[in-house]
Amino acid sequence: MSAELAGEPRRRDDLPLELRDERESLRVTGVWLFLVTDILLFGSLFAGYAVLRTQVASGPTAASLFRLGPVMFETVALLTSSFTMGLAVQAMRAGNRRALVAWMAVTLVLGAVFVGSEARDFALFAARGDTWGRSAFLSAFDILVGTHGAHVTAGIVWALGILVRVGRRGLTPRTARKVYTFALYWHFLDIVWVFIFTVVYLLGKVG
Amino acid sequence: MPGVRPGQDATGSPLPVGDVERRLAFLRPRVRGAGFPWAQLGGWLGCLTLTGCAYVLVTRHALPPVLLGAALVAMAATQAGLQLGVFMHLRESRGLAWQVLPLALALFTALAMVGMSVWIMLFKSGVS
Repeated sequence: MSAELAGEPRRRDDLPLELRDERESLRVTGVWLFLVTDILLFGSLFAGYAVLRTQVASGPTAASLFRLGPVMFETVALLTSSFTMGLAVQAMRAGNRRALVAWMAVTLVLGAVFVGSEARDFALFAARGDTWGRSAFLSAFDILVGTHGAHVTAGIVWALGILVRVGRRGLTPRTARKVYTFALYWHFLDIVWVFIFTVVYLLGKVG
Repeated sequence: MPGVRPGQDATGSPLPVGDVERRLAFLRPRVRGAGFPWAQLGGWLGCLTLTGCAYVLVTRHALPPVLLGAALVAMAATQAGLQLGVFMHLRESRGLAWQVLPLALALFTALAMVGMSVWIMLFKSGVS
Protein backbone atom coordinates (compact mmCIF):
# COMPACT_ATOMS: atom_id res chain seq x y z
CA MET A 1 0.00 0.00 0.00
CA SER A 2 1.38 3.41 -0.85
CA ALA A 3 2.00 5.91 1.91
CA GLU A 4 -0.61 8.36 0.61
CA LEU A 5 -3.32 5.78 1.09
CA ALA A 6 -2.15 4.63 4.49
CA GLY A 7 -4.60 5.47 7.21
CA GLU A 8 -7.59 5.20 4.89
CA PRO A 9 -10.03 2.49 5.82
CA ARG A 10 -9.08 -0.48 3.64
CA ARG A 11 -11.62 -2.98 4.86
CA ARG A 12 -15.36 -2.91 5.30
CA ASP A 13 -15.01 -3.52 9.02
CA ASP A 14 -13.18 -0.20 9.32
CA LEU A 15 -16.23 1.71 8.11
CA PRO A 16 -18.84 2.94 10.58
CA LEU A 17 -21.87 0.67 10.88
CA GLU A 18 -24.17 2.95 8.88
CA LEU A 19 -21.88 2.95 5.83
CA ARG A 20 -20.79 -0.68 5.97
CA ASP A 21 -23.66 -2.12 3.96
CA GLU A 22 -23.63 -0.86 0.39
CA ARG A 23 -27.40 -0.66 0.06
CA GLU A 24 -27.77 1.26 3.32
CA SER A 25 -24.90 3.51 2.30
CA LEU A 26 -26.73 4.25 -0.94
CA ARG A 27 -29.75 5.34 1.10
CA VAL A 28 -27.57 7.87 2.89
CA THR A 29 -26.83 9.34 -0.53
CA GLY A 30 -30.58 9.26 -1.20
CA VAL A 31 -31.20 11.40 1.87
CA TRP A 32 -28.57 13.88 0.66
CA LEU A 33 -30.56 14.15 -2.59
CA PHE A 34 -33.75 14.69 -0.58
CA LEU A 35 -32.00 17.51 1.30
CA VAL A 36 -31.07 19.00 -2.06
CA THR A 37 -34.77 19.19 -2.99
CA ASP A 38 -35.51 20.69 0.43
CA ILE A 39 -32.91 23.41 -0.21
CA LEU A 40 -34.88 24.33 -3.33
CA LEU A 41 -38.15 24.35 -1.38
CA PHE A 42 -36.77 26.67 1.29
CA GLY A 43 -34.99 28.71 -1.39
CA SER A 44 -38.36 29.44 -3.03
CA LEU A 45 -39.93 30.38 0.31
CA PHE A 46 -36.98 32.66 1.14
CA ALA A 47 -37.33 34.28 -2.30
CA GLY A 48 -41.04 34.88 -1.66
CA TYR A 49 -40.31 36.34 1.76
CA ALA A 50 -37.53 38.60 0.47
CA VAL A 51 -39.87 40.04 -2.13
CA LEU A 52 -42.96 40.44 0.10
CA ARG A 53 -41.41 41.44 3.43
CA THR A 54 -42.20 45.14 2.99
CA GLN A 55 -45.79 44.59 1.75
CA VAL A 56 -47.41 44.98 5.16
CA ALA A 57 -50.75 46.55 4.05
CA SER A 58 -52.44 47.74 7.29
CA GLY A 59 -50.74 45.05 9.36
CA PRO A 60 -47.63 45.18 11.52
CA THR A 61 -44.11 45.53 10.12
CA ALA A 62 -41.41 42.96 10.82
CA ALA A 63 -39.70 45.33 13.28
CA SER A 64 -42.88 45.88 15.28
CA LEU A 65 -44.02 42.24 15.21
CA PHE A 66 -40.92 40.29 16.26
CA ARG A 67 -39.67 39.85 19.81
CA LEU A 68 -36.07 38.72 19.70
CA GLY A 69 -36.02 37.23 23.23
CA PRO A 70 -38.11 34.11 22.50
CA VAL A 71 -36.49 33.73 19.06
CA MET A 72 -33.03 33.78 20.65
CA PHE A 73 -34.21 31.11 23.10
CA GLU A 74 -35.50 28.96 20.21
CA THR A 75 -32.22 29.39 18.36
CA VAL A 76 -30.12 28.27 21.33
CA ALA A 77 -32.45 25.28 21.85
CA LEU A 78 -32.13 24.19 18.22
CA LEU A 79 -28.35 24.75 18.04
CA THR A 80 -27.93 22.72 21.21
CA SER A 81 -30.16 19.96 19.86
CA SER A 82 -27.91 19.80 16.80
CA PHE A 83 -24.91 19.38 19.12
CA THR A 84 -26.60 16.62 21.13
CA MET A 85 -27.53 14.84 17.89
CA GLY A 86 -23.86 15.02 16.91
CA LEU A 87 -23.02 13.38 20.24
CA ALA A 88 -25.68 10.72 19.56
CA VAL A 89 -24.01 9.77 16.27
CA GLN A 90 -20.62 9.76 17.99
CA ALA A 91 -22.01 7.42 20.67
CA MET A 92 -23.51 5.19 17.98
CA ARG A 93 -20.12 4.91 16.30
CA ALA A 94 -18.60 3.92 19.62
CA GLY A 95 -21.24 1.17 19.79
CA ASN A 96 -22.81 2.70 22.90
CA ARG A 97 -26.54 2.20 22.44
CA ARG A 98 -27.59 3.63 25.80
CA ALA A 99 -25.69 6.86 25.20
CA LEU A 100 -27.15 7.05 21.68
CA VAL A 101 -30.72 6.73 22.98
CA ALA A 102 -30.05 9.21 25.79
CA TRP A 103 -28.56 11.89 23.51
CA MET A 104 -31.32 11.38 20.95
CA ALA A 105 -33.92 11.77 23.70
CA VAL A 106 -32.28 15.06 24.77
CA THR A 107 -32.31 16.15 21.12
CA LEU A 108 -36.03 15.45 20.84
CA VAL A 109 -36.84 17.26 24.08
CA LEU A 110 -34.94 20.32 22.81
CA GLY A 111 -36.77 20.02 19.47
CA ALA A 112 -40.09 19.92 21.30
CA VAL A 113 -39.08 22.99 23.34
CA PHE A 114 -38.29 24.79 20.07
CA VAL A 115 -41.63 23.87 18.47
CA GLY A 116 -43.52 24.73 21.67
CA SER A 117 -41.94 28.18 21.94
CA GLU A 118 -42.56 28.85 18.25
CA ALA A 119 -46.20 27.75 18.51
CA ARG A 120 -46.63 30.10 21.49
CA ASP A 121 -45.26 32.97 19.41
CA PHE A 122 -47.64 32.21 16.58
CA ALA A 123 -50.58 31.93 19.01
CA LEU A 124 -49.72 35.38 20.39
CA PHE A 125 -49.65 36.83 16.86
CA ALA A 126 -52.97 35.16 16.05
CA ALA A 127 -54.55 36.52 19.25
CA ARG A 128 -53.76 40.04 18.00
CA GLY A 129 -55.24 39.22 14.61
CA ASP A 130 -51.84 39.01 12.91
CA THR A 131 -52.56 35.86 10.93
CA TRP A 132 -51.43 35.07 7.41
CA GLY A 133 -54.48 36.71 5.80
CA ARG A 134 -53.56 40.14 7.14
CA SER A 135 -50.79 41.07 4.73
CA ALA A 136 -48.48 39.63 2.08
CA PHE A 137 -45.61 39.97 4.57
CA LEU A 138 -47.45 37.83 7.14
CA SER A 139 -48.37 35.24 4.47
CA ALA A 140 -44.75 34.87 3.41
CA PHE A 141 -43.53 34.87 7.03
CA ASP A 142 -46.05 32.27 8.21
CA ILE A 143 -45.39 29.95 5.29
CA LEU A 144 -41.58 30.14 5.57
CA VAL A 145 -41.36 29.77 9.35
CA GLY A 146 -44.35 27.39 9.47
CA THR A 147 -42.79 25.06 6.89
CA HIS A 148 -39.64 24.90 8.99
CA GLY A 149 -41.67 24.25 12.15
CA ALA A 150 -43.58 21.49 10.35
CA HIS A 151 -40.26 19.93 9.32
CA VAL A 152 -39.04 19.96 12.94
CA THR A 153 -42.33 18.45 14.15
CA ALA A 154 -42.18 15.72 11.50
CA GLY A 155 -38.54 15.09 12.48
CA ILE A 156 -39.55 14.51 16.11
CA VAL A 157 -42.16 11.93 15.07
CA TRP A 158 -39.66 10.28 12.69
CA ALA A 159 -36.99 10.08 15.41
CA LEU A 160 -39.42 8.54 17.90
CA GLY A 161 -40.04 5.76 15.40
CA ILE A 162 -36.28 5.27 14.97
CA LEU A 163 -35.80 5.11 18.75
CA VAL A 164 -38.41 2.36 18.98
CA ARG A 165 -36.58 0.41 16.24
CA VAL A 166 -33.18 0.85 17.89
CA GLY A 167 -34.73 -0.33 21.16
CA ARG A 168 -36.20 -3.43 19.52
CA ARG A 169 -33.47 -4.45 17.10
CA GLY A 170 -30.34 -2.90 18.55
CA LEU A 171 -27.62 -1.36 16.42
CA THR A 172 -27.60 -2.94 12.97
CA PRO A 173 -26.41 -1.42 9.68
CA ARG A 174 -30.06 -0.63 8.98
CA THR A 175 -30.97 1.04 12.28
CA ALA A 176 -27.60 2.85 12.34
CA ARG A 177 -28.27 4.21 8.85
CA LYS A 178 -31.69 5.44 10.01
CA VAL A 179 -30.13 7.28 12.94
CA TYR A 180 -27.46 8.75 10.66
CA THR A 181 -29.94 9.96 8.04
CA PHE A 182 -32.14 11.48 10.73
CA ALA A 183 -29.06 13.31 12.03
CA LEU A 184 -28.41 14.71 8.54
CA TYR A 185 -32.02 15.91 8.33
CA TRP A 186 -31.87 17.47 11.80
CA HIS A 187 -28.61 19.37 11.17
CA PHE A 188 -30.02 20.55 7.84
CA LEU A 189 -33.06 22.02 9.65
CA ASP A 190 -30.63 23.79 11.96
CA ILE A 191 -28.92 25.41 8.96
CA VAL A 192 -32.30 26.54 7.59
CA TRP A 193 -33.18 27.99 10.99
CA VAL A 194 -29.90 29.93 11.17
CA PHE A 195 -30.87 31.63 7.91
CA ILE A 196 -34.45 32.24 9.10
CA PHE A 197 -33.07 33.74 12.30
CA THR A 198 -30.70 35.96 10.36
CA VAL A 199 -32.73 36.97 7.30
CA VAL A 200 -36.22 37.09 8.83
CA TYR A 201 -35.77 38.04 12.48
CA LEU A 202 -32.48 39.92 12.76
CA LEU A 203 -32.66 41.77 9.44
CA GLY A 204 -36.39 42.33 10.11
CA LYS A 205 -35.45 44.21 13.27
CA VAL A 206 -32.91 46.26 11.34
CA GLY A 207 -35.69 47.27 8.93
CA MET B 1 -14.13 -15.64 -3.70
CA PRO B 2 -14.80 -16.03 0.01
CA GLY B 3 -12.31 -14.57 2.44
CA VAL B 4 -10.76 -12.14 -0.02
CA ARG B 5 -11.09 -8.54 1.00
CA PRO B 6 -11.23 -5.60 -1.41
CA GLY B 7 -7.74 -4.36 -2.20
CA GLN B 8 -6.09 -7.65 -1.21
CA ASP B 9 -5.23 -10.82 -3.04
CA ALA B 10 -6.06 -14.33 -1.82
CA THR B 11 -3.02 -14.44 0.47
CA GLY B 12 -4.08 -11.23 2.21
CA SER B 13 -1.27 -9.08 0.90
CA PRO B 14 -2.31 -5.73 -0.61
CA LEU B 15 -2.79 -5.49 -4.35
CA PRO B 16 -0.49 -3.06 -6.16
CA VAL B 17 -1.92 0.46 -6.38
CA GLY B 18 -2.12 1.67 -9.96
CA ASP B 19 -2.65 5.07 -11.53
CA VAL B 20 -6.43 4.69 -11.61
CA GLU B 21 -6.62 3.91 -7.90
CA ARG B 22 -4.31 6.77 -7.15
CA ARG B 23 -6.39 9.18 -9.22
CA LEU B 24 -9.64 7.98 -7.67
CA ALA B 25 -8.26 8.04 -4.13
CA PHE B 26 -10.52 11.02 -3.31
CA LEU B 27 -13.52 8.73 -3.76
CA ARG B 28 -12.23 6.39 -1.10
CA PRO B 29 -14.34 6.13 2.06
CA ARG B 30 -13.09 8.36 4.83
CA VAL B 31 -14.39 8.64 8.37
CA ARG B 32 -13.60 10.64 11.46
CA GLY B 33 -12.00 8.91 14.39
CA ALA B 34 -13.58 8.19 17.75
CA GLY B 35 -12.55 9.77 21.05
CA PHE B 36 -13.66 12.91 22.82
CA PRO B 37 -16.01 14.88 20.52
CA TRP B 38 -13.84 18.01 20.31
CA ALA B 39 -15.07 18.83 16.82
CA GLN B 40 -18.72 18.71 17.89
CA LEU B 41 -18.01 20.81 20.98
CA GLY B 42 -16.14 23.36 18.87
CA GLY B 43 -18.95 23.43 16.28
CA TRP B 44 -21.57 24.01 18.96
CA LEU B 45 -19.65 26.75 20.78
CA GLY B 46 -18.77 28.35 17.44
CA CYS B 47 -22.43 28.49 16.39
CA LEU B 48 -23.53 29.87 19.77
CA THR B 49 -20.82 32.55 19.68
CA LEU B 50 -21.73 33.61 16.14
CA THR B 51 -25.44 33.75 17.05
CA GLY B 52 -24.63 35.84 20.13
CA CYS B 53 -22.46 38.22 18.09
CA ALA B 54 -25.21 38.63 15.50
CA TYR B 55 -27.74 39.39 18.24
CA VAL B 56 -25.47 41.97 19.86
CA LEU B 57 -24.71 43.63 16.52
CA VAL B 58 -28.43 44.06 15.82
CA THR B 59 -29.51 45.20 19.29
CA ARG B 60 -26.64 47.67 19.72
CA HIS B 61 -26.96 49.14 16.19
CA ALA B 62 -23.19 48.91 16.01
CA LEU B 63 -22.83 49.04 12.23
CA PRO B 64 -24.41 50.93 9.31
CA PRO B 65 -27.30 48.89 7.77
CA VAL B 66 -25.55 47.64 4.61
CA LEU B 67 -22.44 46.53 6.48
CA LEU B 68 -24.60 44.99 9.22
CA GLY B 69 -26.58 42.97 6.66
CA ALA B 70 -23.38 41.68 5.05
CA ALA B 71 -21.88 40.78 8.45
CA LEU B 72 -25.05 38.93 9.52
CA VAL B 73 -25.24 36.91 6.30
CA ALA B 74 -21.52 36.09 6.51
CA MET B 75 -21.96 34.83 10.08
CA ALA B 76 -24.97 32.73 9.05
CA ALA B 77 -22.96 31.22 6.17
CA THR B 78 -20.12 30.40 8.59
CA GLN B 79 -22.58 28.63 10.86
CA ALA B 80 -23.95 26.67 7.91
CA GLY B 81 -20.37 25.65 7.06
CA LEU B 82 -19.78 24.52 10.64
CA GLN B 83 -22.95 22.43 10.61
CA LEU B 84 -22.07 20.84 7.28
CA GLY B 85 -18.45 20.17 8.13
CA VAL B 86 -18.71 19.18 11.77
CA PHE B 87 -22.11 17.59 12.23
CA MET B 88 -23.10 16.44 8.76
CA HIS B 89 -19.68 14.86 8.16
CA LEU B 90 -19.68 16.37 4.68
CA ARG B 91 -16.15 15.22 3.96
CA GLU B 92 -16.73 11.68 5.05
CA SER B 93 -18.60 9.05 3.10
CA ARG B 94 -18.03 6.20 0.76
CA GLY B 95 -18.13 8.54 -2.21
CA LEU B 96 -17.77 12.24 -1.58
CA ALA B 97 -18.67 13.28 -5.12
CA TRP B 98 -22.20 11.90 -4.82
CA GLN B 99 -23.29 14.41 -2.23
CA VAL B 100 -21.10 17.42 -2.87
CA LEU B 101 -22.00 17.92 -6.53
CA PRO B 102 -25.81 17.91 -6.11
CA LEU B 103 -25.42 20.03 -2.97
CA ALA B 104 -23.35 22.63 -4.81
CA LEU B 105 -25.86 22.67 -7.67
CA ALA B 106 -28.77 23.10 -5.25
CA LEU B 107 -27.03 25.93 -3.40
CA PHE B 108 -26.31 27.67 -6.68
CA THR B 109 -29.93 27.25 -7.83
CA ALA B 110 -31.34 28.43 -4.50
CA LEU B 111 -29.09 31.50 -4.40
CA ALA B 112 -29.93 32.29 -8.03
CA MET B 113 -33.64 31.88 -7.29
CA VAL B 114 -33.56 34.22 -4.29
CA GLY B 115 -31.23 36.72 -5.94
CA MET B 116 -33.09 36.93 -9.22
CA SER B 117 -36.53 37.07 -7.58
CA VAL B 118 -35.40 40.01 -5.46
CA TRP B 119 -33.77 41.68 -8.43
CA ILE B 120 -36.78 41.34 -10.73
CA MET B 121 -39.44 42.18 -8.15
CA LEU B 122 -37.73 45.03 -6.34
CA PHE B 123 -35.96 46.71 -9.22
CA LYS B 124 -38.56 45.96 -11.88
CA SER B 125 -38.79 49.59 -12.96
CA GLY B 126 -35.45 49.05 -14.66
CA VAL B 127 -36.56 46.11 -16.74
CA SER B 128 -40.24 46.76 -17.50
